[in-house]
Amino acid sequence: MRSDKDVKRGRSMKVSVDGRAVAAFEGETIATAMLAQDILAFRRDRAGRPRGLFCNMGVCGECLVTVTQAGAPRRRLRACITEVADDMTVVTGTGDQP
Amino acid sequence: MYSADVLVIGAGLVGCATAYRLVQAGAQVEIIEAAHPNAGASGANAGSLHFQLERRFLENGEALADQAASILSLNRLAIAEWHGLADELGPDIRVHMRGGLMVAETPDDVRMLERKVVREVAGGLKSRMIDGDEVRALAPGLSQTVLAASHLEAEGHADPKALTLAFAAAAAGGGARLRQRCRVVAARASKGGYRLSVETPDGPVDLTASKIVIAAGAWSGRIGELFNLHLPLYPVALLMNTTERTNPVLDLLIQHVGQRLSMKQAHAGNILIGGGWPSRMRLDAAGRFDLGQPAEMLTSSLRGNLAVAARVFPSVADLNLIRSWTGITAVTADQLPLVGEVPQAPGVYVAAGGSAFTLGPTFARLLARCILDEPEDRLDIFSPARFSHLNSFMGMARA
Amino acid sequence: MSRGSRPDYDVAVIGGGPAGQAACLALGDVPRIAVIDEQLRPGGQILRQPPRAFSVRSWLEGIEYRRLKDRLAAFESLKAVEWLGGCSVLGAREIEEGWCVIVSDGRGARELSARRILIATGCYDMALPLPGWTLPGVMSAGGVQAFVKSQMLAPGYRIAFAGSHPLQLLAAEQVRKAGGTVAAVAFSQPFRQIALKALGRPWTSLTNISRLIAVILMGLRLRAAGVPIHFGRAPLGVEGEGQVQGLRLQDGPIIPCDAAAFCFGFLPQSDLPRTMGLAVCPARPGGWKACHDAWMRASKAGAYVAGETTGVKGADAAAAEGALAGLGIAMDMGILALDAAVRRAPPLRRARARALRFAELLDSVAAPDLLPDRELPADTIVCRCEDVTAGDLRCALESCTDVSAVKLATRCGMGVCQGRNCEHSLLALLGGASAERPGFTARFPARPVQISDLLTKI
Repeated sequence: MRSDKDVKRGRSMKVSVDGRAVAAFEGETIATAMLAQDILAFRRDRAGRPRGLFCNMGVCGECLVTVTQAGAPRRRLRACITEVADDMTVVTGTGDQP
Repeated sequence: MYSADVLVIGAGLVGCATAYRLVQAGAQVEIIEAAHPNAGASGANAGSLHFQLERRFLENGEALADQAASILSLNRLAIAEWHGLADELGPDIRVHMRGGLMVAETPDDVRMLERKVVREVAGGLKSRMIDGDEVRALAPGLSQTVLAASHLEAEGHADPKALTLAFAAAAAGGGARLRQRCRVVAARASKGGYRLSVETPDGPVDLTASKIVIAAGAWSGRIGELFNLHLPLYPVALLMNTTERTNPVLDLLIQHVGQRLSMKQAHAGNILIGGGWPSRMRLDAAGRFDLGQPAEMLTSSLRGNLAVAARVFPSVADLNLIRSWTGITAVTADQLPLVGEVPQAPGVYVAAGGSAFTLGPTFARLLARCILDEPEDRLDIFSPARFSHLNSFMGMARA
Repeated sequence: MSRGSRPDYDVAVIGGGPAGQAACLALGDVPRIAVIDEQLRPGGQILRQPPRAFSVRSWLEGIEYRRLKDRLAAFESLKAVEWLGGCSVLGAREIEEGWCVIVSDGRGARELSARRILIATGCYDMALPLPGWTLPGVMSAGGVQAFVKSQMLAPGYRIAFAGSHPLQLLAAEQVRKAGGTVAAVAFSQPFRQIALKALGRPWTSLTNISRLIAVILMGLRLRAAGVPIHFGRAPLGVEGEGQVQGLRLQDGPIIPCDAAAFCFGFLPQSDLPRTMGLAVCPARPGGWKACHDAWMRASKAGAYVAGETTGVKGADAAAAEGALAGLGIAMDMGILALDAAVRRAPPLRRARARALRFAELLDSVAAPDLLPDRELPADTIVCRCEDVTAGDLRCALESCTDVSAVKLATRCGMGVCQGRNCEHSLLALLGGASAERPGFTARFPARPVQISDLLTKI
């Protein structure tokens, strides 16, 4: 949940995560935007179980998602260290499949 | 009193598989391993099952290519061997034989492929030329730059690490003894056989047997020195790369006739990219290649290898590279395997050199027959006898 | 960069935390310094800054952060420093002119060269496997702190903390300040054990009495706010369907929560020292620390190490080491005379020694049970990336005595994180790291990199 104590966030923007519109603020990481909307799963493991992020500092690799932005080729990025951008499309899971 | 009938030096794929075939026939076998199974090339290998003639055989002129085509007889045996291994050793070895493509991107490439296919067909291999459209129908991820390919249904891949361990377990099940962290430091001829001085974690031990198998991969040349032999096996360091796991996008083994490339999607989902790009071996204090140190990755090889892969299979560029590693394997003086008894050292056998994953289980089966004095001539073309001139002044006097 | 030409930088500092900042401040007149960090803004993890797009009043206002913030401000105003944020370092290798660093940012991978390189890459939370720990909502305490500090987000409505390291008290307090609810803070150790450890180091405890008091006060404030603080209650597992719903602790009922944060200690980030071939030795409670001399020189010419990289010991020690490294580099470059460096070193060495003593106390207090008395259930995942369970590892350990052999047999350590989260657990199962047990072979790339980036020419 976002804190509202003593903070003025950047402008609001919308990103999509697995086809779902997710509210975000400029400067937030993809991970923040997802967690703020109670989306905790970033991928599924070999047994199909959902997995969340663990370290939140780019070390564990659990939060790797596929990110597309207008016109650019898709990228596999760590959600915890990647800031949201306008019209960003995020797909969780490996490749194109959640 | 012998320690065993056969002492196998090296617990990689070839050593473990040979030990298994020997114990299956009732022999008493000990495997002596300096580190642990899969510590060498067996553990660094990408697991290609390539039965088509490799690019490396084609890039040094027609005469050598003709000579190299003699390997086709083994390749055909290997296809049958691999088909049977999943039943014999279980599903964990992940044998996946759904086809392989050797691609061409230029007209020169295409011509080379055509000549290759002619040789292969003459050698009894069922490869065939297909055009770009059929290539992309078989492997939809391949790019438009691929003009044609040679296709062989039997090609594919398996898991080398699992395979070594499966053979090791099967050999142990048959009574073979595996000694890990044991290093052979001396060899002497002894009555009716050989005595090996072995350094073990519990102190030095002498082991004797009438037959020795040198299956030590990149170290085989050095082991040969212990027997006062020249075994023309040269260590070479290669680069391998793996992507993160992804959903199934590539079912076939991909190789390239004009460039160094070998690509496959492993059972776990990672895409393995290699093909023979060089890495740099380190030197030890004595100035020799240090086979115990990881070889150094060359950035030129990294970029070169990934560039070919991305050009031929574009979607791989969207994936993260998670690891690049180097592995040291051995090539012989004429690129063909070195398998068989060394004439100047009766009872000493060697099995190493090139394509030792694809052909390893086949070497093991045939070599075991030779070792047990069963009639077996299919390895003759790979015999160390072809290098006898190197050992005219070598070998050890027998006791 | 063309062969034989001047390197791009005089010094490349990898890591913009307290150690890297202190090094730059101590470098003095060195003209071209690059500071490279995966985070977008400097600060390291301890001062993980909010984005510029946020304006935050009273960010990390506590007195304990003041010196750190002053140093950060001084660093950010250094003219000679080129800040390369959002940039992952994939590897570094020796070249004739010094070191060549391969980096990757959002646009592509490139190489940059420097005469000297300082590795100050900090540490990360030590992951300990527990049943249910792979459920979404389980995080490291450091990860929770990062959300609170730099994103103003409490990553859960009811967050339970468990572990052995007192830092979890600070993390809990920060969550509360951000408006979140802390379900509990649970220590595996009995309070008596913690007290005895402190009493067993009376000098260190006395000279750091203000820190100890601060920790105790934190605990009391949390308690006063209604947060249960437990001692002697080790975490046994996490429960939930598809996400965290409760934390099971020793000797008591399940704690309902929607996020579980574990705090067992920290490991030095050792990917770069190991891929560079620098000498490392086993660190406590796990991982590898880079070896160095009195001026923070590492085992290869032109390479230096500082901060948590040389052993986890906190921000004060990190800053002292960073400054020593800066002096060492300046000396080695001929910019600072030996006697000038020798004059400036003693307060830094004293600060470092002081901080080291406290770190040792903290280590002894926080030492987790890497191998808890109770065995992990066989289906507990140890390697998160490849779903390798404790049972898989025990099976492999029946015939393997070598970490690499286990890796090859089970795939443990072959995933995206390349063993950062499981190597220490595997080593613990084998009896611990040592010179004879050197862990996995660290390889390029130190961080995942998109293949297209490696092929971009920029």
